Parts: sequence; C-alpha cells; structure tokens
Amino acid sequence: MLAVTKLFNESENMTAIPVSDTRTWLRSVAERRDRHAFEQLYGYFAPKIKGYMLRQGADDASADDLAQETMVQIWRKANHYDPQKAAVSTWVFRVARNLQIDRMRKLKFYEVALNTEASSTLENLQHNEQLEHRTDTDKLRKLIGELPEEQMEVVQLAFFEGLSHSEVSCRLSIPVGTVKSRLRLAFGKLKIGMGEKI
Amino acid sequence: MKINHHADDATIMAYAAGTVSEGFSLLLTAHMEVCSHCRERMSLASDLGGELLCEVEPARMSQEGLSNVLSAIEADIIDPVTPFKSPSASSDMASVLMEYVPRGLDELPWQRLMPGIRQYQLTGVESGNGSVRLLSISPGIRIPHHTHLGGELTLVIEGAYEDEIGHFKAGDLADLDASCNHQPVAVGNKPCICLIATDDKLRFTGLLSRMVQPLIGI
Repeated sequence: MLAVTKLFNESENMTAIPVSDTRTWLRSVAERRDRHAFEQLYGYFAPKIKGYMLRQGADDASADDLAQETMVQIWRKANHYDPQKAAVSTWVFRVARNLQIDRMRKLKFYEVALNTEASSTLENLQHNEQLEHRTDTDKLRKLIGELPEEQMEVVQLAFFEGLSHSEVSCRLSIPVGTVKSRLRLAFGKLKIGMGEKI
Repeated sequence: MKINHHADDATIMAYAAGTVSEGFSLLLTAHMEVCSHCRERMSLASDLGGELLCEVEPARMSQEGLSNVLSAIEADIIDPVTPFKSPSASSDMASVLMEYVPRGLDELPWQRLMPGIRQYQLTGVESGNGSVRLLSISPGIRIPHHTHLGGELTLVIEGAYEDEIGHFKAGDLADLDASCNHQPVAVGNKPCICLIATDDKLRFTGLLSRMVQPLIGI
C-alpha cells in the first residue's frame, strides 16, 4: 500500500497525462469510427485497466480479458461520451468499474446519468449549468497527491481493491466510523480545492 | 424539487468506487435522478476514480490483446447504440424504479406488517444480509425504535415522515449508520411511502418489536 501511495506522489514528476490527446482520440472514435485513434486509446488505457482489474483481485488472464472487454465497450459506447462534461479518464473508469462489478461481483449496478441533459425536466436549469464544466484534471491530480497517507489509504482500498466501508475497517483494524471520517476528510479537501459549492 | 437531506460523502465515495450493494446503488440512483447536489458530488467522486485509474500501475497486455479487441469490434454488424432512457416527466416515480413498480404504487401487492404499516419487498435485488423494500406508513404511525447492524438508506417516495434527525419529504434521503437509533413517524394527511435499503439486519430496541421481528422479516 505504501508503495502505491509513493507511486502516486511521484507521478507529479512523470510525463503529463495527455488529457487533450485522449479526448481527441475518443472523439475520433465516436465521430469517425477511427481505428487508429482507437489503437492509441488502447495503448494508453488497456494496461491501466488491466492494472485496475488486478488490484480488484482478478488473475492475470481474467484481468487481460476484462481490459479487452472494457476496450470493446469503449468502442461501442464512444458516442455516449460528452467531452464538455467529463474527463475521458472519468468516463473510462466508469466503464471499467461497471464491467468489473458485473463480471467479478456478478451484481447489477445502477448508476445515475451524470452527464446528460435528462435532468432538465426535473430540475431548474441553473443547477445544470453548474454541472456543465469540465473538471480541471491537473488541479484534481495535485489535490489527490496532497492527501495525507492515512486518507489516501482508505480511498485506494475502496477504489482499487473494491472494499466496502466495513471491509476496509476489518483490513485496517479501525472502526467503520473512522473509515468514513477519513473518506469524508479526503473528499472535503477535494471539494474545497476544486471550488465546488457542494 | 427542493431536496433537504442527502447522501453522506462517504456513501458517495463508496458508490463511485462501486463498493455499495446492488440495493444501495438502486436507491442512490433514484435519489440522484432528482438531486443535483448529490449528482454533482458523484461527478467529483467519479473524477477521483478516473484520476486513480490513470495512476494505477499499468500491467502489460497479452500479445493477442489488441487483435482480439479489433476482431471483436469488426464483428459488430452494426454498431449497437444503446438508447438513452430519459426519466419520465409524467411520473413522480424515479425512472430506475419503474422496472420494479411498473403499474404504480397503488397496484402493488402490499403485505400488511402491523396496523398502519404495509410493505412490499423488491425481489431480484441482491442485498446480502439486508433487503430492499417499500414501506407504506399511515399518518401518525410510528416505526418501532431501531438501530442498524449495517447501513440503512431511506428515500421518501411520497408523503413525509419525521424522526430525531428531521423532517423528510419526497426526494429526501436519510443516510443512517449503526450509531443511529431512531423512531420515524409518518406525518401529513396521506401515507408516507419510502424505499428502504439495508445492507444488514435492523436491530429493534424494544422488547415487543424484537419479538415480532422474525415474523415480519425486517
């Protein structure tokens, strides 16, 4: 766990993630069914998705299959991605996570549409306008890198290893309330740092 | 719809990480269809997931990985496009719940639990030791004092209730953990209908309700 935290902190010095490149590739896939752009996306994301599946407990062959299947879904669903409303990495994460839940946990996972206009019939437009901003991923990455180690640890156990609050509590031998408060503290820092009015 | 009670940040994080039960994901989706505050926080938590994905240690893909994927997408006869199902503007019911309540709340085969309280258990939603159920509570009726072994999410569908925490009306979400001992009472002039998801058994604190708990299956 410490090694992963360290990796994350050191990543600030690594080559910047090509956010604009991934967005261009995904748009080319969506609009022109561009195979070359898709291969670029594969080269960038498939090893990360496989790494994510391994952390979730899949063996090497299953993680490879799940990463391949995620990439097929990215091809098929590319037209659902709206570059005005979410980072490519966010969208890819959701596709990978949903596939992992479906295949590894054999559960349905209901998910609200975060980046559509569907809610405009239900709510006032002002709120929707607030949603129409794309997250500053550089800023968010920096904030994540600044999270204290004990908060980062519970975040990683949830997102990487798929542990529920009570499972994190057992793993770390700390009360569930402490798990939740560390998550709240971490999320609070991200909210304030991103200037969210939430 | 003005929403006053929301999901806890820790619950939002678990939802974005994908670690909540199927029942919790159903209820949180229903709430977020009408709650921009929680949807906005869910967006940020999902952005966090995306950034973490970018930082995960990459694993070398198998040699045949790319060719497998290209073969799969070439085998698509036509590109399947999943139609987006927009929430029904003509119904107050969250669209995600329509699958379970297709003909409306009045048509459900409600089961009487005790005077003034009826329930309908949603079948086919995996919830581990917990459950997902609709409760219909007549005005003035109190649910017995109880705490929770795990978490409990309650979404008000119609009507309103009050407890030690506050006043909850349609769209409001109560996000309770094991430390909370509460006794909700339905208020107003029509039944309060709630969707309740637990991830473990409730623990009634009164002797009588402890005795009837095995009979009513909560």
